[in-house]
Amino acid sequence: MRLLKLTGQAVALVAVAGLLGLLVWRLTHQAHPPKIGGAAPNFTLRRLEGAGTLDLASLRGHPVVLNFWASWCVPCKGEAAMLQREWAQYRNKGVVFLGIDYHDVGSDARTFLSHHGITYPTVQDGSGKVGDRYGITGVPETYFVDRRGRLVGVHVLGPITESKFAHQFHAGLRAALDS
Amino acid sequence: MRALAVIVAALAFAGPAAACVHPRTSLAYLEGQIMCPTCHTTLDQSDSDAARQIEAYIQKRIGECATAGQIKSELVANFGAGILAAPPHKGFDLLAWWLPLGGVIAGAGLLALGVWRWSRRREAEPVLPLDAATERRIDELLADLD
Repeated sequence: MRLLKLTGQAVALVAVAGLLGLLVWRLTHQAHPPKIGGAAPNFTLRRLEGAGTLDLASLRGHPVVLNFWASWCVPCKGEAAMLQREWAQYRNKGVVFLGIDYHDVGSDARTFLSHHGITYPTVQDGSGKVGDRYGITGVPETYFVDRRGRLVGVHVLGPITESKFAHQFHAGLRAALDS
Repeated sequence: MRALAVIVAALAFAGPAAACVHPRTSLAYLEGQIMCPTCHTTLDQSDSDAARQIEAYIQKRIGECATAGQIKSELVANFGAGILAAPPHKGFDLLAWWLPLGGVIAGAGLLALGVWRWSRRREAEPVLPLDAATERRIDELLADLD
């Protein structure tokens, strides 16, 4: 009977320790936006159009504009044409625009790209895991990565069709180009 | 002429349904099993743009005779396993189903053991004999009652 009691106590202790471990793991793995000036979290995601994947690290040496968007997002429709124009203007300077399709149905996203004439590369983040690592709170949001893979400029938290965000966007682009 | 119109109309309505090999699933059946990825509730409890987009996708696939299983598989391929409201009944995810059941059974077993031990202890307690004065006093009280 004493052995049974000890076993019960051990099981209870292990269960409590397990629950505490889960709590600590959860608290330490909460998504926080990455710091501007720090390394851009790397990712490998499936390309939305065409086969294969794209690795952020493979773009090292180029300034990168990371734009999180979704086809269900109304403000994303507004900024799509503007992003395409910016891409056409800056691609000769070595800037890479990379669309990250966040929590979206792939077929709808492809229709969106075709409808808005987007030609820069786009990858699919259906599960939202990459968006979570970047601390995305909604779409559209934009980050800038310099040639060395560091985040620069500001984290743009809205559509670049609005003057405040357009100003941040251009400042971010300059920072990515200059650093 | 009227008969022909009726036949054409009937075929127009019956055609799509007859084209499906399996009985059609429904949005109402699926929307409680699929999560809205941006609001973390099931589709039937969400009115977000992302939820409406997934509902439209489900409706489209139902119209194309896709089964509930096919639609769920496609959504998992697109959004990951987190799109399902309940974990699948296979692999590591089985733990999510069996652990709570195991916990309930273990708890019930521990409770039964505790009750059994408690009842045995009560049986084992010795009955102390009354002293002579108390016994006499009880007899007097019972006699008064008569």
